[in-house]
Amino acid sequence: MTLLAKGVITPQRRSHIPWAACLIILLASAACAWLFNAFMPQGIGLTPAHVSHPLWQGVSLERAARMYGQGALFVDARDPGQYKRSHIRGAVNLSPVEREYLYPLLKPSLEAAKRIVVYGKGVSRFPAAEIGQFLRQQGFGEVWVMEAGLDEWRAAGHPLREPKRPGNSS
Amino acid sequence: MKALRELISLASRLFVAGVFLYAAYDKVWQPAAFAQAVAEYELVPLWLVNSSSAVMAWLELLLGALLVFGVAVRAAALWSSGLLVFFIALMIYAGLTGAGYDCGCFPGGGHAAGYETALRDLVFLVPSLWLVFFPGRWLALAPGRGSRPREERFLS
Repeated sequence: MTLLAKGVITPQRRSHIPWAACLIILLASAACAWLFNAFMPQGIGLTPAHVSHPLWQGVSLERAARMYGQGALFVDARDPGQYKRSHIRGAVNLSPVEREYLYPLLKPSLEAAKRIVVYGKGVSRFPAAEIGQFLRQQGFGEVWVMEAGLDEWRAAGHPLREPKRPGNSS
Repeated sequence: MKALRELISLASRLFVAGVFLYAAYDKVWQPAAFAQAVAEYELVPLWLVNSSSAVMAWLELLLGALLVFGVAVRAAALWSSGLLVFFIALMIYAGLTGAGYDCGCFPGGGHAAGYETALRDLVFLVPSLWLVFFPGRWLALAPGRGSRPREERFLS
């Protein structure tokens, strides 16, 4: 028996959730977003260029680990705060936000590397794909973007650098 | 009592509208920068970043406009409350993962994603939730269903 049939709630007490209005608001937002981005000069495409026209190549976790053993330079494209918490041992930090400051500093190391493997967190491939695209545009030949993130790397038991934090007993 | 409730509803409506309009105009006008901010969270795959960020920016703008003019207030308040709950969860997630990036909430930046921002959004959620239950009718062009006091609804 429903609550309505039992008399616990009466027809008058049922809340009026305006589903139709909610749906119209969402559809109107989507329509405005599409129109604006299609016709305004600052509009963005449906997908970013580093996804629709990637210059980088994807690489599996296993292959990336082999490249690590062969001396490839790993680039951590995540936020500097996340990099400080943990990163692949030997990786350098080059995030999109601080790219213009960090790139000139890292350029000699990047140029010395035969292969470059960029990684992010894995779920979205951001910001690894963006940095991968940027490095290819700068003329670096072998730029790979790791398909897995740091969590998978950690789970597979590959080398990590995780500075101990205050209060961390482990 | 009824007048006080209407006054609180009006103040809540204008406050939430102000927050959403202020947050939205820069996101709408500079979609690439906002897409970058959304991508930072790594919650959606890259191919969804542009479209989801563009829709979210316009959703915020429309919600602000609807609340200012008092049109479909309850529906707008449901959306704004839902978005704020989502933002709070997102800020807590960002705090847990040690993110140091800007939350991308308001123009000009300067608001790091994390617990403090979650607390701020929690404050915004209070008037938004009030509007879900008491949309009010003062200075509202078309408040929509559910905006009339319950006693009036029963009589009609």
